[in-house]
Amino acid sequence: MATVVDSSGIPAATPPASAGSRIIRHAGIDRVYHWLTAATVLTLMFTAFLPILGVKFDWVVIHWVAGCVLIALTLFHILRALFWQRVRAMLWLAPQEVTGHRVGKYTVAQKLMHWAMTFMVLGVTITGAFMLMKMDTPFWKRDPYTLSQATWGVIYVIHGLSALCAVTFVMIHVYFSLIPQSRPYLRAMIKGWITRQELLEHHHTDIDG
Amino acid sequence: MQLFRMGHDVYGQPVLEGVSWDLLAVAFGVAVVVILAHALFSLFRGKRGA
Repeated sequence: MATVVDSSGIPAATPPASAGSRIIRHAGIDRVYHWLTAATVLTLMFTAFLPILGVKFDWVVIHWVAGCVLIALTLFHILRALFWQRVRAMLWLAPQEVTGHRVGKYTVAQKLMHWAMTFMVLGVTITGAFMLMKMDTPFWKRDPYTLSQATWGVIYVIHGLSALCAVTFVMIHVYFSLIPQSRPYLRAMIKGWITRQELLEHHHTDIDG
Repeated sequence: MQLFRMGHDVYGQPVLEGVSWDLLAVAFGVAVVVILAHALFSLFRGKRGA
């Protein structure tokens, strides 16, 4: 039976519990969001890069539909982070955290990875949203003439650079999620919980966020 | 290695078409280097701690 503490941070007044007791680290909705985003990003990467590597298939429709899904997921995540979670717990990086003296819900490495993913996802989704103007879909007709050719060039460069960053970041993210030291975090992203002992190894429970 | 893909418009002027896909190998390589570096560091630290 898991001890429900908080889905977005560790409260200052954590009730007394044994070292093996379970603490909820990620709410179900956040885990569903994470894995849907993972599946969408992988779909986008495969549909983007396989044709470049010579694997020919009708990738365009899959890519723009998956892109729309990623835009929707990103908007959901921003709204949830702003109104239902403590943004500071993930985004703020204090000097005491870098030295390892005061680590809240997320470690420095986890926050840096989140920052990297944030810039990458914002890069592909914002430019991708513009590029949807060039698509004929059941919902709108293509209009490639609103922006100048030079502007489209800049959009393509940012989209491409962000996509290349996705290759690097996703590979590193998957590696660090699979190493033995990260097993509690991977379990938390699958089942939601972490034991109190695992938490105390790397985090200070008296920090709000 | 090219950094950008360039094309030409109907007037023959050069236009930017995006980043060069040569950089895909660089993106992959950077990740492999980081992963190998961490794996070797962990291995080395583990042996020293043993």
